[in-house]
Amino acid sequence: MDASNSLVIETHNLSKAYKGVQALKDLNLKVEQHSIFGFLGPNGAGKTTTMKILLGLIKPTGGGGKIFGYDIVRDSVAIRERIGYLPQQPRFLDYWTARESLRFTASFFFSGPKAAIEARIQETLALVGLDDKADRPIKGFSGGERQRLGIAQAQINYPDLLILDEPAAALDPLGRHAVLEVMERLRKHTTIFYSTHILDDVQRVSDTVAILNRGQLVTCGPIDQILNGKDSTVFTITEKGSTRRIEERLQQLSWVTQASADRHNGATTWQVGVSDEAAAEAHLLRHILADEAVVVTEFSRKKYDLEEVFMDLIQGDNNER
Amino acid sequence: MSANAELKRVKEWAWMRSFANLYQKESQAWWSTKRWWINGLLWLGLVAGMLVAMLFIVPPFFAALGQTTMVADNGGMVKMGLHTFYTVGTLAITIGVIVLCQDLIIGEKQTGLTEYLLANPVQRKAYVLAKLCASLVAVFLLLVALPGAAAYVVISLGAGGPLPLLPYLAGIGLLVLHSLFYLTLTIMLGVFFSSRSPILGIPFGIFFIGMLFGFLKPLMYIGPSMLTGCAEAIAGSVPLPPGLLWPALLATGLWCVAFTCAALIKFERTEF
Repeated sequence: MDASNSLVIETHNLSKAYKGVQALKDLNLKVEQHSIFGFLGPNGAGKTTTMKILLGLIKPTGGGGKIFGYDIVRDSVAIRERIGYLPQQPRFLDYWTARESLRFTASFFFSGPKAAIEARIQETLALVGLDDKADRPIKGFSGGERQRLGIAQAQINYPDLLILDEPAAALDPLGRHAVLEVMERLRKHTTIFYSTHILDDVQRVSDTVAILNRGQLVTCGPIDQILNGKDSTVFTITEKGSTRRIEERLQQLSWVTQASADRHNGATTWQVGVSDEAAAEAHLLRHILADEAVVVTEFSRKKYDLEEVFMDLIQGDNNER
Repeated sequence: MSANAELKRVKEWAWMRSFANLYQKESQAWWSTKRWWINGLLWLGLVAGMLVAMLFIVPPFFAALGQTTMVADNGGMVKMGLHTFYTVGTLAITIGVIVLCQDLIIGEKQTGLTEYLLANPVQRKAYVLAKLCASLVAVFLLLVALPGAAAYVVISLGAGGPLPLLPYLAGIGLLVLHSLFYLTLTIMLGVFFSSRSPILGIPFGIFFIGMLFGFLKPLMYIGPSMLTGCAEAIAGSVPLPPGLLWPALLATGLWCVAFTCAALIKFERTEF
């Protein structure tokens, strides 16, 4: 990768069609170095197709891309020297032990010295918490252990880029937690590009997110920007008292674009949309509290969760087509 | 990620990147599991057992019945032994090659292991050639050389002295080429198809058509069907009709090259 270029992955109108069916259309992605890039989308959105194109497992029918500045079609082997990959369902030779499997993967990259390779294998096993099971045949491993071994294999070569396809899928909450922990530990060393359906996980570990639907990019950007990126800013106000009086006060403010109330357990929660964020931050609460009969118990700027944003974007995109 | 400075990166010819590692994996699949001794015993036992039965058990049985022995009918122990090994033995060996190698490519394609392997710095031609080379070594040692050596011992015992070695080895060489034909064919079909039926059906079909009709003029020159008959004749130091061996030898060799090239080209274009 060029020293001046901090982009690890860059695609330009990347497209893939299978017998007339457009699996991926004009995908333009930019993945920054050392980011954890969450790649989201419903089933069949084209996430795995994109990953496979980046790995050279399938060829694009249009557009192109670069990884570390290398062309993804022409220089695929050189790219794979610096990549680690975890497929959706990691596969192993079941008669091997975890250590043998890692030794085999390490041999794609390192020729020696033997002691240093063994030390690297041990270090990797410890990283994913499999050091106590290193010499057991893989056929006896649970789903979570296989997934962790898959991650170990993916990063044994000190990759500059890790591509993980659904790394926490089919795992119980403990397994998921362990996988996310490993990803967080790796983030300072490498760039992680991963797909998932589990939006909570994305919100927890990702710094950048792209959402794909029916082969097309719906949105892409830093996660905070996407979570705050609704048309208007919304504030949440929880109060005990007269709903009508608050409504009257809100109507007096020109920058309030919409307000809705939800009564629950004797308290009312208002969602107030505003067009002038600065004015709202400075005056909204003060204006409401000017009425002494109103008791506000909670006031905050609404933080959308990713699931809400995801559902809105996908449904909106489906309606537009 | 910053790597350990002590570790040395693999340096290999770029066009065959990862051949050595994949060859080792394929060899381990044969030699580090039960597979080698199970197959070693199976084919050795089958071929040697068949020869022992034909040379030492059946003739006394017929003699006891007062009938002319089969050995006498076939012109002696050597002729009988070589005929048994090169016709019936070859049938067993060919079935062995097809059955043992049908899973080489398709097994990994179906489980997703190929996808994982190719996501490493692997040249696709190295993947196919590693399978071919490792399997050829295993097929040669377990299915041809070991049963061939046992057959040599048994026939020599029956003949009362050692067979001439060089003609016998030349016959074994033809058997290796015959096995290579079915090995490359099976690997190629594994690359082209994603179900096992054609991978098993086509080689068996070709083999049995060759057995039944291989003596017919066009067929005897364009495939391996005459190689076993030639091998038997060469091993028994029987002169071959002129113009029989070389066309079959050349055609089989060309088929092996063509199957391998077709497998490499198709695999290069296959998407996983």
